[in-house]
Amino acid sequence: MRDDLKVGVFLCECGGNISDIIDLDEVRASLDVEFVGQFENLCSLNGRKIIRDAIFDHDLDRVVVAACSPISHEKTFQDYVKPLNPYLMDMANIREQCSWVHSDKAKATHKAITLINASIEKVKQSDAVDPIYCQTPDEVAVIGGGIAGMNAALSLAKQGTKVTLIEQSPSIGGHMAKIGKVFSPVKIAEECGMCLLNPILNELVWNENIEVLTNSKVIEAERRAGTYNLIVEKSPRYVDTERCIACGKCKEVCEVEVPDDWNDGLSTRKAIYRPFGQSYPESYVIDMDNCTKCSSCVKVCNMRAIKLRGRPERIPLQVGSIIVATGHKLFDMEKRPEYGYNRYNDVITQSELGRITGVNGPTKGKLLKSNGEVPKRVVMIQCVGSRDEKPDGHRYCSKICCTVALKNANIIKHKNPDTDVVICYTDVRTPGMFEKYYKHTQENEVRFIRGRPGEVVKKGDSFIVRTEDTLKGEFIEIEADMVVLSTAMEPSDGTREIAEILNIGTTEDGFIKESHPKIKPVATDVQGIFVCGTAHDPKDITESIMQAIASASKVSEYNYGGVEIEPFIAEIDKDKCILCGDCISRCKYKSMSIQNDEVYIDPMACTGCGKCLVGCGQKAIHVNGNIDEKILATIKGVLSNKNDDERMILVFLDNIGYTAADNIGVNRLSYPESIHIIKVISVNRVRPNHIKYALENGADGVFIGEFPGDLMYDEVERKVDRIKETLIELNENPEQIMFSKVYIPYFTGLARKLTDFDKKIEELNL
Amino acid sequence: MKLIPDKDILLFRSCLVSVEYPGVESSTKFVFDKLGIDYAISEKQTCCTGLGHYSDVFNQIDTSAIGARNFKIAKDIGRPNLVMMCATCYAINKKSVKLLNKKDDLRNHINQLFEENGLEHLKYEKDDLLPSENIFHVVDILYGKISEIPKHIKYDLSEYKIASHHGCHYCKVHYEDTIAGFRDPNIIDELIGACGCKTIGWYDHKRATCGTGFRQRYSNPDLSFTATADKMNALDDEEVEIVVHLCPNCHIQFDRYQPLISKREGREFEAIHLNIAQFIAIAMGGDFDKVIGVKAHTTPIDSVIKELKEVEQ
Repeated sequence: MRDDLKVGVFLCECGGNISDIIDLDEVRASLDVEFVGQFENLCSLNGRKIIRDAIFDHDLDRVVVAACSPISHEKTFQDYVKPLNPYLMDMANIREQCSWVHSDKAKATHKAITLINASIEKVKQSDAVDPIYCQTPDEVAVIGGGIAGMNAALSLAKQGTKVTLIEQSPSIGGHMAKIGKVFSPVKIAEECGMCLLNPILNELVWNENIEVLTNSKVIEAERRAGTYNLIVEKSPRYVDTERCIACGKCKEVCEVEVPDDWNDGLSTRKAIYRPFGQSYPESYVIDMDNCTKCSSCVKVCNMRAIKLRGRPERIPLQVGSIIVATGHKLFDMEKRPEYGYNRYNDVITQSELGRITGVNGPTKGKLLKSNGEVPKRVVMIQCVGSRDEKPDGHRYCSKICCTVALKNANIIKHKNPDTDVVICYTDVRTPGMFEKYYKHTQENEVRFIRGRPGEVVKKGDSFIVRTEDTLKGEFIEIEADMVVLSTAMEPSDGTREIAEILNIGTTEDGFIKESHPKIKPVATDVQGIFVCGTAHDPKDITESIMQAIASASKVSEYNYGGVEIEPFIAEIDKDKCILCGDCISRCKYKSMSIQNDEVYIDPMACTGCGKCLVGCGQKAIHVNGNIDEKILATIKGVLSNKNDDERMILVFLDNIGYTAADNIGVNRLSYPESIHIIKVISVNRVRPNHIKYALENGADGVFIGEFPGDLMYDEVERKVDRIKETLIELNENPEQIMFSKVYIPYFTGLARKLTDFDKKIEELNL
Repeated sequence: MKLIPDKDILLFRSCLVSVEYPGVESSTKFVFDKLGIDYAISEKQTCCTGLGHYSDVFNQIDTSAIGARNFKIAKDIGRPNLVMMCATCYAINKKSVKLLNKKDDLRNHINQLFEENGLEHLKYEKDDLLPSENIFHVVDILYGKISEIPKHIKYDLSEYKIASHHGCHYCKVHYEDTIAGFRDPNIIDELIGACGCKTIGWYDHKRATCGTGFRQRYSNPDLSFTATADKMNALDDEEVEIVVHLCPNCHIQFDRYQPLISKREGREFEAIHLNIAQFIAIAMGGDFDKVIGVKAHTTPIDSVIKELKEVEQ
């Protein structure tokens, strides 16, 4: 039946890119199909008419376009074959994977014919299927109410999107609220951080599209077809934000005093408190861990806003996308006992110095030591926990600490010109305009010593900072009466928790991983979840804001454009399915679940890898689009054209490997003509039977490439090992099969691997 | 915390302990016996090569070959858990196990050497021993029994000012296996705590080397003794009376050279130096001559510990 289908082949000259190398006359003469056409530039708008007319005139059932890579123009030609179903068209890649990688015209022409024949066989096995369009709900959850989360929420809200901003602490504002002064590289001056934050905070509070949930955490998340069902737990505040007028009478009568975390513990606060002057909601809150429940505050509150009893509330939330802006925390100084942070009061962090020099801080902005005196010499130690290859350290640079140290050094110099400031650095990293600020700091007589101090010890009333001056090659001891540590930025606990709850990828350092910083910036590995700010990696306020706005823009793309999904995904035969749940646990992409007594497959999560198929005892699952048959037909098509003296190597690659292979052509590198690349939707779909068939019917070698980041990588590797074992049992040489890692950027490596494999197969054949 | 064995132990003898402070070995056995630890000593065991290795006499191949031989001996007598009294032996053996397991060419080369010399029985198979599961220092084993120690304490040493000196090759070579801190090492302090005493904790230069540096002591004595003097000065500033060690190299540098450094610094250093096993053995009532081996010490132990006070029941 399928053999009777009428196939039309359209050859593209690609303005000489193809026709200069491949003899298209010979190709045309060799093809046995209903219709063959040849055009100069098939992708141009004329191509649409040419293809459509041929389909009508010759009553074509299937179309093969022999041109460039499907990665470049598959969408174009799927559109040009209308009224045929888009999936009844297949592209033979005779440019990136033929004319651009081979220079021998005769061999290239022969290979082009092989590739086109393979496409003809494949397309005969294609069925009409419709792409799946998904529209996700417009609502967005922004997790984390720091400067990044606030900007992302505001940007979306101004575009008309409903946003829920979820913040774990009692107030939004994040680290920026306590940072004291900020500066931008174009201005050689420090500005009040709170004055810059406040307008954003006010705008956010007044925007009707934003709901702010403080004291709240996402504790559960579930994804269904692009909709996230979140459970948010809101801890009680014990003060009614509607009634509280923040008069502060309650605070006066409270007798409990505990370290004020907003001031990094440098001052105290009461058990009932307002986190900071401009905190939002504009209301007090009770720290129940320290409250003695004496009820004095309840009695004094005229507004009757205080209730000492309360329970966490669970709020369900349904959103289409999520922005993770859960931020960072600072390096734990217990891990660096040599700097004496826990032993000495006047060894502090840059964050604490920010509080001390902040006018709303514990000393009202006066630079004072713990004994109330002005320090005579402040030594700053850079890279505490960053660029540190010792255990417990971070190998990365925290990026902001150089400029933070410069800023705080300048603030000290403005306030106390007589205080000597020495910065012990590894390298001063002040790219772009920041370099001018570095020079400005040097002009302010801040001193710089290149060396990472080994320890800080107390001798008498002052500290000794021991370091090597690596420019002079001398060991030195610097006397100081205040030491400031520039601590590394690391992922906050909230960042680590949310990564686990949402099942999104993280880097080896625990930050949220971008899917790809160039092609998919701010997108995570999971569709519909985006990241911004320091949850992603160390960065400053300006960069966090830019990234926040980028993530809002990506959400809008997602909301307006919807998502088109290739239909080659698993489908359940409900009559056969016994709801055993085996497939649900097998699916590495977590695309399956039971809903309303049926197995539901999330089209946005399913990759069509076919893992569920193999395990289903009821044979109740199939993957749309005749994948198995298409792979087999392609193999047959490639091998049918084999000459006696020809070496034939089949290479199976999925979208990532195929892109890498295209890049070999784009960069005009080469590999042997024996290499025939077959694109599959998932490498896991290449089954032992396919490989067996290929080797028995003329293939000399099989190369399987997989991206190590793919969730199925280990599985595929094990599968290839098993096939090799089977070959040994059959007295065949397992070296005929090769499994290899592929990466898009390492196309040179792929070209080399393909060339080496060809050589190896040549030796095996001798 | 990782699993610490209390049986199938080969107590790995140390050249420096045997030659310089035999009391460290007798004290270790005394304490092990009290704590019910199952161990044995093998006459077939050789030196780990450490001193020679770090003085560029033995290369890594020779060192690993000798390691392989000693590991085989331990396995053959059913005591695959090697427990070292010396930090150098500890780090050397751990490194050899790691290399023999990981580097196929090194292991094959050594096995070939064995074969060519009629020593097939010494051949080392990959993963015969595991670095974290089979190679320990005495302090690790004691730490595994830390809750048992108080039950056997007879004498109260809490009146003395005590400080710890942790050997570099225990703390700073194989970080992943160091117990109770490597940036701020505390295993000795915690073991002393189990004897009912409190150390001074952190002091200036606590983490610093003893200064021995293997051949540095002889080829570069000025640098070597400057490092020791820094530490001795810091200990004296804190009026420390007992310094507790875990490595015989450090022990020698401090005890044997204390008079010399006193002269060099013009400051009379009077602290006594004990291995942690000796310290615990004293607290458990070990005989000063037969168990602690005080006669081998340069700074007399009785210059500080003049009489013992029994623990109040």
